[in-house]
Formats: sequence, C-alpha cells, structure tokens
Amino acid sequence: MNAGRSGKVELKSNRIALSDGIFLNIVETDKFKSNLLTVNFIRPLDKAEVTMNALLPMVLERGSKSFPTKLLMERKLEELYGASLDLGSSKRGERQLIKASIEWADSKFTSDKKSGKEAINLLKGVLFDPVIIDGSFDDRYVEQEKRILISRIRSRINDKRNYAISRCIEEMCKGERFGIYSLGYEEDVEGIDGKRLYEQYRNILMTSPIEIFFVGNLHGLELDQLIPAELYNRRDILLIPREVIPENNLSKRNVEEAMSVSQGKLVLGFRSSIPYEHEHYNGLLVGNELLGGGPNSHMFKTVREEKSLAYYASSRLIKHKSIILADAGILFSNYKQALDLILDQVARLKSGDFSDEDLQIAKKSIENSSRSIVDSNQMISEFFLGKVISNDERSLEDMLSELGKTDRNKVIIAMDTVTLDTIYFLNGKEGETDEENLE
Amino acid sequence: MKKIWNNTLDEGLIHLQLENGINLYYYPKKGFTKKYAIFSTSFGSNHTSFIDNSNGKIIKLPNGTAHFLEHKLFEDPDRNIFERFAKYGADVNAYTNFDQTSYLFSTSDNFYDSLSLLVEFVQNPYLTDENIEKEKGIIGQEIQMYRDNPRWRVYFNCLSAMYHNHPVKDDIAGTIDSISEIFKEDLLLAYNRFYHPSNMVLFVVGDLELDRIAEAVNKASRGFPADTVIPVKYYPEEPSIVRKNFIEDYMSTSKPLFYIGYKDTDPGKSGKASVKKDIVTNMLLDVLLSESSEFYQDVYSQGLIDSSFGAYYSGKSDYGQSMIVGQSDDPKRVYQLVIELMSNKMSLLSEDAFLRVKKKEMGRFLMGLNSVEFIANNLTDLYFQGFYLMDYLDLLSETTFEDLLERFERHFSSGESVLSVIWPEGMVK
Repeated sequence: MNAGRSGKVELKSNRIALSDGIFLNIVETDKFKSNLLTVNFIRPLDKAEVTMNALLPMVLERGSKSFPTKLLMERKLEELYGASLDLGSSKRGERQLIKASIEWADSKFTSDKKSGKEAINLLKGVLFDPVIIDGSFDDRYVEQEKRILISRIRSRINDKRNYAISRCIEEMCKGERFGIYSLGYEEDVEGIDGKRLYEQYRNILMTSPIEIFFVGNLHGLELDQLIPAELYNRRDILLIPREVIPENNLSKRNVEEAMSVSQGKLVLGFRSSIPYEHEHYNGLLVGNELLGGGPNSHMFKTVREEKSLAYYASSRLIKHKSIILADAGILFSNYKQALDLILDQVARLKSGDFSDEDLQIAKKSIENSSRSIVDSNQMISEFFLGKVISNDERSLEDMLSELGKTDRNKVIIAMDTVTLDTIYFLNGKEGETDEENLE
Repeated sequence: MKKIWNNTLDEGLIHLQLENGINLYYYPKKGFTKKYAIFSTSFGSNHTSFIDNSNGKIIKLPNGTAHFLEHKLFEDPDRNIFERFAKYGADVNAYTNFDQTSYLFSTSDNFYDSLSLLVEFVQNPYLTDENIEKEKGIIGQEIQMYRDNPRWRVYFNCLSAMYHNHPVKDDIAGTIDSISEIFKEDLLLAYNRFYHPSNMVLFVVGDLELDRIAEAVNKASRGFPADTVIPVKYYPEEPSIVRKNFIEDYMSTSKPLFYIGYKDTDPGKSGKASVKKDIVTNMLLDVLLSESSEFYQDVYSQGLIDSSFGAYYSGKSDYGQSMIVGQSDDPKRVYQLVIELMSNKMSLLSEDAFLRVKKKEMGRFLMGLNSVEFIANNLTDLYFQGFYLMDYLDLLSETTFEDLLERFERHFSSGESVLSVIWPEGMVK
C-alpha cells in the first residue's frame, strides 16, 4: 500500500508433521529476548466435555512427577529466570483449545545454557507425566480446583461489559455449539472426580489434533523430544467440523436483565451469511471496522463524539460464526436513542453512506494491526494457529493484498447480508434511575 | 546528543535536547515493525493543587482536571485528531494516572507524519465552552463504567481508608460532581502551567532514523517562553498512620474481593533510591506471598484464596503502598493470616528465596524488552522518577539480601494496614 515501507514482513514457519495429527511449527528468530513454546490440543466445543476440559489444565498445573507440588514447580520456574508456565482453555469458534505454554529468557542474556532444555522438560512433565495414582488424578487437587473453577464460572458477572457480551452470545446462539460457555457449567463440575478426569485426559491425548509452536532461538534444542513415544501411534484422530452459519435462523430475541449497576450495557448481535472462506468476507471485515472498529468508526463518531451517549461504543466480528457484536455503555434512559443510532449506522453502511476516505482508513487500520503481529512471539504463534484452524494457506502478505482490493461495492454487498438477531440490555434494578446514580 | 547504553543488552537510549526545549529520547529497536511514541507531562490526578508562582498562594483545581484535559486535547478546530491519526494508519491513545498524563500512538507506517501530529496536537489546545460541556457526558459514562467495576472500587476504597489528605485517595477521573465544576479557565490554567516542554518528555521506540525523528518534532513544535517556571506541586500534610483499618461496600459481584494495603511510612526518596525501594519491596512481597512461597500454597490449599491472589508495591516520592489483593469467601481470615506472617520477624526470609526471586525479576525484565509498549511506558515512568530504564538490570543485580531484611523491618513493622472488602450484594456475613 505504501512504497516507503521499511522492509517486508518476514513471517515463515517451518511446519513438520511429527505423526498423524501432531504438527510442530518452528519460527526461528533472534528478534526476541525470550523463547516461547506452545502446545495446543484442539477439541470440539461440546457441552459433554467443556467443563472437564476447562478443569484439566488447572489440575495439570498443580504438579508433575518431577515437580510433584506446585511449590517445587514455582521455585523451579524462578530458577529458570522467571520462566512463565501458562495452562488454560479457551473457545475459538466452535472449538475448545487446551493450551499449555512456557516462555523463558534466552541464554544469550542469562548465560544459563541449560535453561532451554529444562524449560522444555518442565512443560513435557506437566503435560505428559502427571502424578497418577491407580488411574486417577490426586483427588485432593481435583477437589480444590473444582471449587476454583466454580468460583471462576460465577465470577463472570464481575466484568459487566464482558458479561453482557457473553450473555448476548448465549441468548443468540441457544442450541448452537457456539452458545456454550467456555469455562463450562457449575452443575457439571460436581460429577467430575480424579478418575473421570483422567479418562478424559487420556481421551484428549489420544484423539486431539495437536499443534506445537516454537518462536525464538533454537540453540540446537530438540523439540520432537517433547512428544512421548506412545503418541506416535495414535489412531482415531478427531475430525472437527467447521462451524455452522445458520441460514434463516434468526432468533430475534430481545433480552433484558436487571442488576444493581450504574451504567446500562447494550449489546446488539448481528449475523451475516458470508463465511470466512468466501471472497466477500473481506467486505465484512472492513464493514465491521467502519461500523465500530476504532475511533474513526461510525459508532465512535456518532454515539460517543456527536451525541455524548457513551464512553465506549464499538463492534467486533467473530470470524468463525460471521457474527458482529456492537456494544456501548450508556445511561439507562438513553437505551432507545443509542439503539436507534447504532441501527442507523448499520443501515448507512448497507446503503453505501460512507466516504472513500473512511474506507481507506478502515483498511489501513486492519493492515496496521496485522503487520504488528511479527513483533510479538505470542501473536506469531496465534497467527499460525489461526491459519491451521481455518485451513488458510495464504501468507500474511497475500491476506493483506486481498484486503487491499476490497472496494466500496464489496463492503456494501457484505453489509447487506448483515441482519439484527438479538438485542441484549443489562439494565439497572427497578427503582434505580440515572438521576439517583448521578446524585 | 548523549548516548545511554547498556552493553549486556546492546540496547539503549539516545537523548537529544531540541532547540524548542523538548527532551527527546530515541530507543532503537531493530527489526521491529511497530513504532511507538509517547509524549508525557509530569502532571497527573495528584497534582490539582499547586503553589501560584506570582503570589505563593495554593491553587486548587477540581478533581479530575488532568484527565479532563487529556480528553480535550483531542479537539481541533478543523478535524478530529482521532481521524487524522487514523488517516496515517496510526492508533492514537492517551492515559492519565496519579503522576502523569501521556499521549501516544503506534503505527507500522507513516511514523514521522504521525509524530509531527502528536507533538502538534499536544502543544495546541483548542478549548471551547461548548466542546467542554459535550465532554462531560462522555467522561460521565467513563466514571460510571469504573463505578461498576468491583476491582476498581475495592482498590480506591483501600486508598481512601489509607490516606487522610493525600490526593492519591481520589479517583483519577474525579466524580460526576467534580467534573461538573470543570470549566475552560481551569483547563487552560492547568495547561499553561504544566504543559511546558521543561515539564515534559518524548520517548520514541522502533526501527527509525534519529535525524528524521528530530526533524518531525522540530517541524511541529511551537515555541514556549523559555523563562516559564513550573509551579511547585502542593501536597497536604499526610500522617504516617492510616485513616482507618477497615472499609467495606456491597456490589453485584460473585465473591468477596479484598485489598490489604500497607502504607509506606518512609516516603520522600527520589531517583535511584526511590526505584531501588520499589524493586526491593516488590522482591520482598514475592518472597513472602508469591506462588513460590509457603504462605501462598498453604492458604491456597485451605481454599481461602485462588490464583487471582497477588501482591505488589507502587509508590513515588510522595506516597507509596504495598497491596495484597485477591478474592476469598473469608477475607478477614486472610487479613489475619497476612498480619501474622508480617509479625513473624523475618523467620520466613531466606537468602535462597531472595536469589531465586532476583533471577525471576531479571528474566521478567528481559521478556518485557520484547515489547515496544513496555519499553516506552516504563522509560516514561522511571524518567519522571529521575531514573533510566537502561540502568534497571544493574540496579537489580546490586540489590542484596540485607536490603531485603532492612526493608522488611521498615515497611511492615509499623503495621499501618487497611483491609478493604467488596461483599456480594445481599450476602450475609
């Protein structure tokens, strides 16, 4: 887009098939002062296992055979110059990812030559060599982590903006896998014990597609050692289907919930019928950016700057489901005005009421954030994982070049498929008015 | 031109004092696509009281003035500043904290034009009664958003119980009431006193050319009277004891949230001494309370805390506090256990633990240097304390176990602590 750019983005990963369903992706670079190794187990998002999958990384993190207590493990991590071990689960479209990573400072700066090997062994131990007694995880740890998981599930209400977003998705996608809450369900936690969790752990090891990423300086490290021998003979690897984009399945819900809050949270859920594989998807990407992608977007300029209705007013596009969520934090009494104004902005995009300059700005903004991927080892890993999950073989440059070709017409065509599905409003409790809150 | 280099990292800073008075620092980050600039003034929410140069009287501006001014500098008679940055493909933002206000952008493209724009807009306020009134609705919603955030509330409640008079007890954005009293004269007064180049600093990080950086800044900067004297900031007398030991409130939250605060009864340090105190206190908290401590693992196993538990120290020359934070069904019990730990007279401080934590701090600092944001933001914060980020690793390696023991005695022996709790609504204790 601009001839004056200094240097092209070099983003290449060496992808090696270790065995059926296990891939090692290596991005060698000496740009960072640390090295990052990430292992992803990919699961279908499924009510039957979502809760166990959320609990499993919490239990694994409690210790391994080499470091049987968390205390010993934490102290070892400190010895490794504060290496950070991170385990968790998350939702990506209608998949659940169980992710484990370790990042350690490069030996060039710490002059500790063993740290890389030790960090890798630590991660290997946590993932593949946990303490197992009679085919069961230690029930004491399992019970403790179950309590913590329940408290994390409940703590969803603490962050009101994210709560409103996740409630909107839940209502909008009732009956779809995407409506499943990523941390699982309180009522499903109780039935899990050490034995049941161990069975699921074995199931995950033997059937999940596994994607491993390394970003950094190899210094001769042998990464294939990470995977234990038994995983080289897996059969029955899961085939995880692509998400469903429902057609004519608009639920048209209008959901209001009352809570003791000072600010109302309005979330609008829209659906498009264009899947991310389609050539018109870029139109949707740019359309969403124009709608509420940043401070130059229509929502920011009208809801916030012109009408002073909100501090935040933005939209996001959920790639795997072709869903746009637009949200704003407002006075309760401004509900109607904010709702109409946001709907107006969508209508404007459908009718082509946006300037060529705003179109260019929206494209540039997406380009700018895509280009900065190369400056973060975490984002590099995420980028390549995203490509694997969405079966996308294009390079970053290919993607950006296609984005660059998105013209006004493509945006209009894409936005024309966008229809309102669900309105969610987090309201104050009865008897609480804005005036009272404003004192 | 001055070069401030760290040979271990082979990274460092180049300083240029420009003719228009701007202090410019460039931190080269070879091979990085993202470029980042941050222009800051040493004027934050703590500085609304200051001594008038002409008559020596104390001037008090409404709470939230610094933050309000931050919002308003984005106004322009012709075209919104956000739009102008967006046109360059740059992401612009700003923040106000207790001690500073910063304006920043990041971009992979059109860096020098964006840099000129940054310097230009911060140096050219456009304030009208009308655009100030309009902003009150937006900031009002920002304040309401924070009011609904239990973590923010439990934190500020803790500070308000800890401090009698120091402005750190007041919310950075002010209140709906205090911002209603902010007018053009207040904003202009604050601007004219504190946005002088001698009170400001500009850091630039990325793969760039020094000449072109200087040229972009010079092109955009306007002149300021060289003889301007920055007013002396006024802090009311603050007793070393806490205002009260306990504060509580109710909100819609899933579990009780707590902040345990230890007031720093030994402020007044600046430069290297202040940064060293910061490092040593944070290491001390790590040794005592982090996941590698017996305390943490013990209390975790009892089900009293979860992984949200943590502890950190923050402070500047005029205030400081250690905060021990988390969620628990029984925050009073956690508080009691912390008090017992702190009265244990160092029995839990071992040199082994100190050495481990020191290694960890070094590694974490190195990892931080992967991020241009980390570098620029910390450069700014430390600069206003009179310290260069480059010297951080050296200062870290200078710290000794004796420093830790001494700090333990000073900081925790006074027992000046506060428990702040947010209970879930309707919860019966």
